[in-house]
Amino acid sequence: MSDAVVTMDLHPQPAAGQPKPWAFPAPDRGALGNGLTVLRCHRPGQQVVAVDISLGAPLDAEPEGLDGVATIMARALSEGTDKHSAEEFAAELERCGATLDAHADHPGVRIALEVPVSRLHKALGLLAEALRAPAFADHEVERLVRNRLDEIPHEKANPARRAAKELSKELFPAASRMSRPRQGTEETVAQIDAAAVRAFYEAHVRPATATAVIVGDLAGVDLDTVLADTLGAWTGDSAAPRPVPAITADDTGRVVIVDRPGAVQTQLLIGRIGPDRHDRQWPAQVLGTYCLGGTLTSRLDRVLREEKGYTYGVRAFTQVLRSAPDASGAAMLAISGSVDTPNTGPALRDLWQVLRTLAAEGLTDAERDAAVQNLVGVAPLKYETAASVAGTLADQVEQFLPDDFQARLYAGLAETGTVEATAAAVSAFPVDRLVTILVGDASQIEGPVRELGIGQVTVVAG
Amino acid sequence: MPMGHTATAQAGSGGLTATEHRLANGLRVVLSEDHLTPVAAVCLWYDVGSRHEVKSRTGLAHLFEHLMFQGSAQVTGNGHFELVQGAGGSLNGTTSFERTNYFETMPAHQLELALWLEADRMGSLLAALDDESMENQRDVVKNERRQRYDNVPYGTAFERLTALVYPEGHPYHHTPIGSMADLDAATLEDARAFFSTYYAPNNAVLSVVGDIDPEQTLAWIEKYFGSIPSHEGKQPPRDGVLPDLVGEQLRQEIREEVPARALMAAYRLPHDGTRECDAADLALTVLGGGESSRLHNRLVRRDQTAVAAGFGLLRLAGAPSLGWLDVKTSGGVEVPAIEAAVDEELARFAAEGPTSEEMERAQAQLEREWLDRLGTVAGRADELCRFAVLFGDPQLALTAVRRLLDITPEEVQAVAAARLRPDNRAVLVYEPLSAEETEAAGDDGSAGQTAGAAPAAESAETDDTAETDENSEPAEREGADQ
Repeated sequence: MSDAVVTMDLHPQPAAGQPKPWAFPAPDRGALGNGLTVLRCHRPGQQVVAVDISLGAPLDAEPEGLDGVATIMARALSEGTDKHSAEEFAAELERCGATLDAHADHPGVRIALEVPVSRLHKALGLLAEALRAPAFADHEVERLVRNRLDEIPHEKANPARRAAKELSKELFPAASRMSRPRQGTEETVAQIDAAAVRAFYEAHVRPATATAVIVGDLAGVDLDTVLADTLGAWTGDSAAPRPVPAITADDTGRVVIVDRPGAVQTQLLIGRIGPDRHDRQWPAQVLGTYCLGGTLTSRLDRVLREEKGYTYGVRAFTQVLRSAPDASGAAMLAISGSVDTPNTGPALRDLWQVLRTLAAEGLTDAERDAAVQNLVGVAPLKYETAASVAGTLADQVEQFLPDDFQARLYAGLAETGTVEATAAAVSAFPVDRLVTILVGDASQIEGPVRELGIGQVTVVAG
Repeated sequence: MPMGHTATAQAGSGGLTATEHRLANGLRVVLSEDHLTPVAAVCLWYDVGSRHEVKSRTGLAHLFEHLMFQGSAQVTGNGHFELVQGAGGSLNGTTSFERTNYFETMPAHQLELALWLEADRMGSLLAALDDESMENQRDVVKNERRQRYDNVPYGTAFERLTALVYPEGHPYHHTPIGSMADLDAATLEDARAFFSTYYAPNNAVLSVVGDIDPEQTLAWIEKYFGSIPSHEGKQPPRDGVLPDLVGEQLRQEIREEVPARALMAAYRLPHDGTRECDAADLALTVLGGGESSRLHNRLVRRDQTAVAAGFGLLRLAGAPSLGWLDVKTSGGVEVPAIEAAVDEELARFAAEGPTSEEMERAQAQLEREWLDRLGTVAGRADELCRFAVLFGDPQLALTAVRRLLDITPEEVQAVAAARLRPDNRAVLVYEPLSAEETEAAGDDGSAGQTAGAAPAAESAETDDTAETDENSEPAEREGADQ
């Protein structure tokens, strides 16, 4: 270091001040007369209210051969009702300054409404109308089906999505809904019509198996009245709980190259499944996974990005697939990122070496401490907006977790030691039980990848 | 102690206030208190972006931004990231045409650390900058370029449109990511010179927003930043003045491995900071924002010729703003059919203007976007810096939404009639390769969702959330679970 370039007064690094208490917000839980569960949470200052609806309409409930019907139904909810045409509905919603997003995933359908609090009543009325009396007009469903078919080629062309599709296909048995794309394939989507959408709606959408999470600055809102006027008018029968199929996956170590001749980068996605948030090891797994690949200063990027420059960033993460009350659910454990084509072999060699070193030497206390400080410390930032709080509360509902799960997770993280975090990370990412998907130029990367000995290598068409 | 004037709450700003201060070395400071959540956002805008770059050194501002995370006199290696994240904070930096920003959101009791870190690199980066960092980050940035542009379908569309609508030699002709050749050519000496020229307290605005004690915060800012010398050697960017209209329809057809035909276009629009720009924002929202827009209704709902259709606005202060049309065709639909429909809708809009319902919807949408933007301390800090750097007055951030709501339908119609014309645009047409061509040329793929988000800024760290959903873009989902 040369003093000549430092022309400022240098001061020692300051110490932290006194932390102020913060806790993940506790919602008030109740139910409407129609059986709809309601979680409400007042967040002062959050003028944009977030409403997150979970419908008990999981993907495994889709009829055989109709993969994608949950997605089309979710989209069709806002394409016309008994009172508004599709265009009118969209216009009325936007007149409230609202956004409405609906998507179907393994645990069920989720609908997210965001709207300035001053127009909450009107927007919730529209949302209730969509849930209570969707039109499912033939021509609108046909249009949504065609639109969905048009989207599929775009998804296949995207390296990250192409990799995700291949990983699902590799990991899960063909009979499992999880082996197939969440939003269906060309073949299955083409079979969907208005009758199928209505049948799925009638079988799986009812207030008794739905939950509404409402978060924001609710100080000036008579929420009971608003709810009675809107979601309270939704009626439906009760339903027996659905059996939840077990989740199994084949994580025999192997490599699938999805060939993209001429690709300048290789998209990598390495995965297997592991425990969900019901597992006692979850806090340790969160901690260990963060230390492995949660950020730019985690082990993977320290080597692959900041030492070698092979990538803009590689991340390790967990994502809950589906949970069940009996704790038989599972999460995807994965590592993903893009590396340049010529360095694909070296990057994977280094990645495996990082995993081997982790297994052999474990995490350091300093790494564990930094991870806890980050994961716990960022909570007030992460949950500043109503939408982030609503999303997490709705996830908990959907995963059959108690309303104070996230709050207790922070305590759990703080109590998790280095040894436990190491054990969880090593058991999450064992070097011989990882399925590796590479979307890239097979003519360039196949040879170097074979030399690594990380499992049988097959090449499939892009 | 630095002095400055104090502003009070403005109607329409939701009770938010900001105070302004200036250190003796020229550093402008904006503070805004909000004690609802124990967090504090620090945001530092340097008045330098890719428009300041010179020929054969495109991408230097962004590459340099990466180097700002590689240590300074008292911060070793990746210490900047390690210390902020270890304190429970989050951080990043981004580079656009007109500015480079660095930001940390911290638990309130860790605010002083973020100020110390920003001051250390503002005043002493060159003490740590070396060849090793330069070579490493050059590779990282080249991989960023591959990941975000070169390895995705339509990935270079924005770069191509920009190059068309801002002519050769114009400071906005190239985008912040720069070219591979120029990234390869950049030297350590270039980086040093860039720092010495542009990274000075008198070329920056620092905002701190959130659960802060303003007096204490100012005292820390004075302590850590006060001794950094000002520097007057800044080169102004080349003149960005252009005629209001392109004057002809520019056109480029690309034959590439893409999943569907696409029609894209860039229009020259009024400069940011004017009523006309706000009017253009409303016009583009009515025409191509959301699910009830004219283009969505026409192309996606009625004609069913497009899978997605929309307009986005890139506001620019130092050059005409850019309106970006993006239509991906459905099935075998040909581009001329789309183009005729778009032109018909634009002409009708120019002739008739928006209906009162359309104005109400567009204003409600843009109002919510502003509430979202100002609803977090980080968003507020960034907007305060933006208005301070680009328009000299941070208070304008707190009244921006009021100005949008003040625009009349006549103004919206006027800007559409004047600007959304075929002779004021660059058109980019994508034609997929045939099967045989594909085999010869190779495949490099990905998707295009909708219009709107122009990749006009580059970040130090990937902000894509990891995801294993086959269908969703990372940004659409919650991402990794904790």
